[in-house]
Amino acid sequence: MAFSIPPFLQFMFRRVLQIIPVVIAIAALNFLLLSLAPGDAADVISANNGGASAEEVQALRESLGLDRPMIVQFFSYMGGVLTLDLGQSYVRGMPVLDLVMSRVPATLLLMVTSLALAVLAGILLGILSSTRYGSLLDRVMSIISLLLYSTPHFWLALMMIVFFSVHLGLLPSGNIATIGGDFSFLGRVWDVFVHLILPAVTMAMFYIAVYMRLMRSSMLEVLDLDYITAARARGASEKKIAYSHAARNALLPVVTLAGVQIGHALGGSVLIETVFGWPGLGRLVYESLLERDTNTLMGILVVSSVLVIVVSLCIDLVCGLLDPRIVHK
Amino acid sequence: MKSARYLGAAATLALIATTAAQAQDACPTKGGTLTFSYTAEPVALSTLRTTAVTVSLMAGKIYEGLVSYEGPEMTPVPGLAESWDISEDGTVYTFHLRDGVKWHDGEPFTSADVKFGIENAIRPYHSRGKIFFGNVTSIETPDPLTVIFTLASPVEYFMQGFQMTSAPMLPKHILETLDVSDRQALINSSLTSEPIGTGPFKFKEWVHGDHITLTRNPDYWQAGLPCLDNIVMRSIPDGVARGIALENGEIDLLPMNSVLDSDIARFEDMDSLEVSMRGDEGLGGIIWLDVNNREEPLSDPMVRKAISLSLDRETIRDVIWYGYGVPARGPLVSTNPFFNEKLPELEFDLEKAAALLDEAGYPADANGHRFTITQRALPNGEKFIRLAEYVRQQLGKVGIEAKIETSDYAGWLKSVFTDYNYGITSTSTDNRNDPTIGTGRRFHTKNIKVGATFENAGAYSNPEVDRLFDEGAVAPTREARKAIFDEVQEILVDDMPVVYLLEIPRVSVWNAKVHGLITNGISFYDNWAKVYKEE
Repeated sequence: MAFSIPPFLQFMFRRVLQIIPVVIAIAALNFLLLSLAPGDAADVISANNGGASAEEVQALRESLGLDRPMIVQFFSYMGGVLTLDLGQSYVRGMPVLDLVMSRVPATLLLMVTSLALAVLAGILLGILSSTRYGSLLDRVMSIISLLLYSTPHFWLALMMIVFFSVHLGLLPSGNIATIGGDFSFLGRVWDVFVHLILPAVTMAMFYIAVYMRLMRSSMLEVLDLDYITAARARGASEKKIAYSHAARNALLPVVTLAGVQIGHALGGSVLIETVFGWPGLGRLVYESLLERDTNTLMGILVVSSVLVIVVSLCIDLVCGLLDPRIVHK
Repeated sequence: MKSARYLGAAATLALIATTAAQAQDACPTKGGTLTFSYTAEPVALSTLRTTAVTVSLMAGKIYEGLVSYEGPEMTPVPGLAESWDISEDGTVYTFHLRDGVKWHDGEPFTSADVKFGIENAIRPYHSRGKIFFGNVTSIETPDPLTVIFTLASPVEYFMQGFQMTSAPMLPKHILETLDVSDRQALINSSLTSEPIGTGPFKFKEWVHGDHITLTRNPDYWQAGLPCLDNIVMRSIPDGVARGIALENGEIDLLPMNSVLDSDIARFEDMDSLEVSMRGDEGLGGIIWLDVNNREEPLSDPMVRKAISLSLDRETIRDVIWYGYGVPARGPLVSTNPFFNEKLPELEFDLEKAAALLDEAGYPADANGHRFTITQRALPNGEKFIRLAEYVRQQLGKVGIEAKIETSDYAGWLKSVFTDYNYGITSTSTDNRNDPTIGTGRRFHTKNIKVGATFENAGAYSNPEVDRLFDEGAVAPTREARKAIFDEVQEILVDDMPVVYLLEIPRVSVWNAKVHGLITNGISFYDNWAKVYKEE
């Protein structure tokens, strides 16, 4: 054979192809689940208007297409999804794709920053803890991580606001940027960064604990293996052993978990976004659910499932780089 | 034969003569930004889509009604129309428009805008369009500054129909570019997302989920106004975070119950903040228990009265509503201009309640149990859950078991207004200023229709009440209408089709440096042209 696709590309291609059926299945499942909930957007819209006559509610229902049989609505929706048309928001009157995409950057920024922060800090602290196994530092870090893990997000968020915004006046209490601020490009970047600190750190706190514990135990396992003993016998320094010999192998479970937790982080961002007024997807999910804006809700779920899959794909690639055996399996 | 009942023209002359001086007076401080926050972000910037609070709060600054209103009773005063005449028989309203008013895009505002907007958008699509303009047989525009409304029969409350939330003036030159026969096309158009109005503030930017900025309209028809340079609505969905932002000076105002109840007492003690229950009299919020009158035993007025007698409204106010509110005496709030002052306070007497239930033929069994009903709670925060618990506890004392069922808002709406799957449920409703608009629909037999929201879900039907509401709607004078509605209130208390609980004021809190917010009965929806902020 003159030409063969490198195994790495094959691996990627397979993974990308897997996205399509997964997204379709998710869209279908979401539609069915949401159609089970009692009440619809026509009820909520008319109630928010202070009430409406039966004829007006019915006219509204017809204009939104909610009077059609469920099966017709289902196929019409799925047809839309296949052509990337996620419909109109019942409540906001905007195309759902525009509405959702306008919120994606903020959520991605928050999610990626806090997860990166958590993974980085978790890994470093985990290594530190494992190399000083049983010491006072190790124990203190274990206790702190347990505390962080069990502290409710929203409470931590409020305490961060009270401490850093109200008492110290160091950081803004919410939103993504200074309203009406007239900045240069770099000034704008700095402004967003300053606004990002509190929500990202708050969200990272929980995950730092997870990754630190995982990295610690993974390191302890690896540090017991023969090749580490061999490295020691060759006279490598403890620092070199920990950071370059053991850490690379100990990383795999951490990176895998990070991939799995993308979905979890999207869910967790609802609370953080609510407290910090962060204009992301999380808040939109909550509002759309209450308003029975099912089109928007399904759109968010489709887009976020694609997000999760794409990020997991990236994680897989990282895993492939860390451990080439994965690509060949 | 027309009588100028309102000497708006004279008032306008005086206004023109003193415009400069007044503007000076109206704005002790000029410029600055007023930032406020509410529980959620609006879904649109015109009440053409929905009159939800979030939307009305912003739209009222951009779009204006034909006239303005002053005071808690919403007295019409000159606005876009500088004067008006009403024919003696109350069926012809002639408005004389102010000259030189411009839309935010520079086009002149004329009588053609009034006619086109009301006929093609407000009347067919606005949720209140038919209430106010359903009786209009023609709208004529003899010249660019005159509009004549002819009504099939007199509508005493017609002048209330021009509030900016009910009938915002819309630009004909933009409406003409849209397909006005398509409801969705119209309510989803730029009219609701990038509005062009005549108000003191113009739309500047909307960062979805973050904030909306309005900026001063330099060509506003009231020279020298508005006082502020900008109004910003910041999205802070969390109640605690909103309170912190207000305390911290990051925002200046939390209007209309967007402050957490648990924060109010603390804010009242702070000199830097102003806590107020004024400015929403035109809405007249009231909570009551909607009762499903269809089935035994709740179809029996004696049972409904027994439920009313079992509840202590002062306890509800003091324990559940943090001390805010006034025990209700009937379907109208006591600040409503049509309120019947003769109505007595509603009693709390458990023994009397038990006696009434015995009399009604529901004796207690050996365990003290009489019957079981289903109770739903309005899914609008903790207070309504606690209210349901209190109601269950109190009714339990007289032998009625009230099982609580909960759901989210959409589910509650369907259970109460479509499936009628409830015995009693707490609900919150607004009187508005006029019983024909706000109250009649909750009790009139013609409004018993499956799927109608906030209408007569309980299926209460009393031909006498229907007749009185019908007569009250068309009676030509305020006095005649007041007499009719006085009678209706007495019947509605005697029949107790719903169990009236509390008049609920809306609490607003603002930075003490902000002034001029309270202007009329819907102050926070008003245009805030004269609101200013001390340096």
